[in-house]
Amino acid sequence: MKARKVKGLDCGAPLGDNAERIVAVRLGELCSFAPRVLDPAEVEGLHDMRIAAKRLRYVLEVTESCFGPYAREARKRVKELQDLLGEIHDCDVLVPKVLRVRAELEPGHPDRPGLRALAADRAARRATLFADFLDLWQQLGRDGFRARLESAIRERPGAGTTVGTAS
Amino acid sequence: MAKAAPVELRPEMTFAEAAQRTVAVRARELWEHSEGVLDTGDIERVHDMRVATRRLRAVLEIFAPCFPRKEHKAALREVKRLADALGARRDPDVQLEALAGRDGVGAFVDRVLDEQRAGNDALAGALRHAEGLRERLDRLVAA
Repeated sequence: MKARKVKGLDCGAPLGDNAERIVAVRLGELCSFAPRVLDPAEVEGLHDMRIAAKRLRYVLEVTESCFGPYAREARKRVKELQDLLGEIHDCDVLVPKVLRVRAELEPGHPDRPGLRALAADRAARRATLFADFLDLWQQLGRDGFRARLESAIRERPGAGTTVGTAS
Repeated sequence: MAKAAPVELRPEMTFAEAAQRTVAVRARELWEHSEGVLDTGDIERVHDMRVATRRLRAVLEIFAPCFPRKEHKAALREVKRLADALGARRDPDVQLEALAGRDGVGAFVDRVLDEQRAGNDALAGALRHAEGLRERLDRLVAA
């Protein structure tokens, strides 16, 4: 998925102001996947949302100390989201692959039942992960995640303070 | 997963100064994680190096306007190539880990082991070309 272009970046301007523009775009990008991804069959949408989460997480990782304290909390929540979406993606890759290999085996091959069970097990795991993802996404909505991060990126810690990036 | 190394940044420093500092740290981090990645007995090494390439790629994209366009584009392309090679090794690593101790899936495990071997060969090739990337990144942050 191609990242949205961030307009108005200026190499001679303060890091905080540039970072604010980047985070705002990446946050909008992440939130744009709802409500599409509330459908568990939206494999591609969920995959793209994972990439959007990753982009937001990494820009916050570098720049969160330029912003208000909620930016750090937001980065942690985005990582939770990314991890869940990553596990969902792993299942979305694994299940069809297992079924493909099974289909290639001769009808009486001893691994056929095991592979069917493996595919069913991963599909069930995927359903659980998707439910967890929905819970987390709804929780973020209730917590005002988007509005709070939009507010945090307009804050600046005291000028002249040396701060390290997140680790 | 390896934690990101801290970078000393201040909100009021220029975007260009932050770019040089951050890319230098993330590039160093990448090479620090390159040790022993071809060892399939310790899959966390590949994972850590892959995360380091993602972090480097992310900061190259974030700070893109601060670097000479041609050099930046070439560096980004090479980082992506290295990331793809790491992914080709990591994906089967993860699948094999998930299958550990499971009975009746031998035919699938054999397939994934073949992919892991192919991924390791691809990674070995990418690492042989990585010295050029290291020099390119050094030039980029020195520009």
